[in-house]
Amino acid sequence: MLLSVEGLCKAFKGTQVLNQVSFSVDAGEIVSLLGQSGAGKTTILRCITGLERADSGTICVDGRYVCREQNGVTLQAGKRELFAIRQSLGMVFQSYHLFPHLTVLRNVTLALTDVHGMPKKEAEETAEAMLQSLGLAGKEKQMPYELSGGQKQRVAIARACVVNPKLLCFDEPTAALDPETTDEMVHVIRRLAGQGMGILIISHDMPFVEKVSDRVLRVQAGAICPG
Amino acid sequence: MAYVIQILPQILDGLGITFGTFAVTLVFSLPLGALISLGRVSRNQVVRSVFGVYTWVLRGTPLLLQMFFIFFGLPAIGVQLFGRMRLPYVYLAFVLNYAAYFAEIFRSGIQSVEKGQREAARLLGFSSWQMNVKIIWPQVLKKTLPSLGNEVISLVKDTSLVYALGLSEIFKIARSISTRDVTIAPYLVVGVIYLVITAVITQLLKMAEKKVYYEE
Repeated sequence: MLLSVEGLCKAFKGTQVLNQVSFSVDAGEIVSLLGQSGAGKTTILRCITGLERADSGTICVDGRYVCREQNGVTLQAGKRELFAIRQSLGMVFQSYHLFPHLTVLRNVTLALTDVHGMPKKEAEETAEAMLQSLGLAGKEKQMPYELSGGQKQRVAIARACVVNPKLLCFDEPTAALDPETTDEMVHVIRRLAGQGMGILIISHDMPFVEKVSDRVLRVQAGAICPG
Repeated sequence: MAYVIQILPQILDGLGITFGTFAVTLVFSLPLGALISLGRVSRNQVVRSVFGVYTWVLRGTPLLLQMFFIFFGLPAIGVQLFGRMRLPYVYLAFVLNYAAYFAEIFRSGIQSVEKGQREAARLLGFSSWQMNVKIIWPQVLKKTLPSLGNEVISLVKDTSLVYALGLSEIFKIARSISTRDVTIAPYLVVGVIYLVITAVITQLLKMAEKKVYYEE
């Protein structure tokens, strides 16, 4: 199992946002968490990626624990462990969060060269191949503001995928896309899953998640609905 | 015209102090301002408050007063930093004062960078240092360059304050010549010199802004 979440709870200022959330994602599987705004979907994703600390519960990504319930105490991953966990994780944000001052190519190569120590030329070749596979050939020298919403999203996918994560998370991937680009996104996500990547999608777009997912889990008031 | 040509070399003699004060202030106050701005956005409430008081005091009192305090006040309480030399006291006052202004500009720049940029960087595995150097500060510089430019132009003009400590920069020399020859022409010459300096700096700033420009 690539990702397992068990009994995840999280409260903000006394308000229970997540209540005993449990689910799992296997390698090559596409799982979607469907729910309305404010249901707690994004908080689940933020807890998995370590951007938010879970109050209790266990989150395990590729055999490493983001947090772990042990003898009634929730142990949190340290900085180093979190760094290692994030090597197996990719994240495509709702508003992409591309680095606006860097070209498309540099957005994709920056983590390869600066975090993973890959030589610049090799990183550029890897990134170019990734961009090409996502239909972005010829866009390498453009700046993020010169791209359409769909293109920005594919750059964000390239940036997340270029470091070969095992689990790729999408936060509301269709929020800013037109229907045609949404269909393209279905193909892109399916292809990534076909390569063995586990995919976790957070969305309120029911037609999209039903089209793309192997499993759809409904989130309501901070809990996964049964059935 | 002949009179202007006659007095110009005397006035230009003071450019060394004007430029020296300008350059030393810029070179030291920009990095100091950047450090203070980090303190201003620190998660530690005490650190934030300490640097908050610093910027409040330094921005809330006149630079001239700060110069006098550092030059006369510190020796009076037994702190002899630079002996009888006057210029280092001027530099110190200018650097401390301008660092406070630059710090507030940088602080606003840091806070205007989207939270998502940091989160994206963290998830990609960047260390805090890498994130600041490669992702946050290039955006901060782009956002703050116009405001920094305003402060740099103000700094050119503020260098005239050093006359108060008896240092012969261009304004003080012009005043002496004006008193001696009973004419306002030296002031006009100094005005033109300031305009030329600020015009050159404005062009340099425009070039810098163009270099870091991108749409968001």
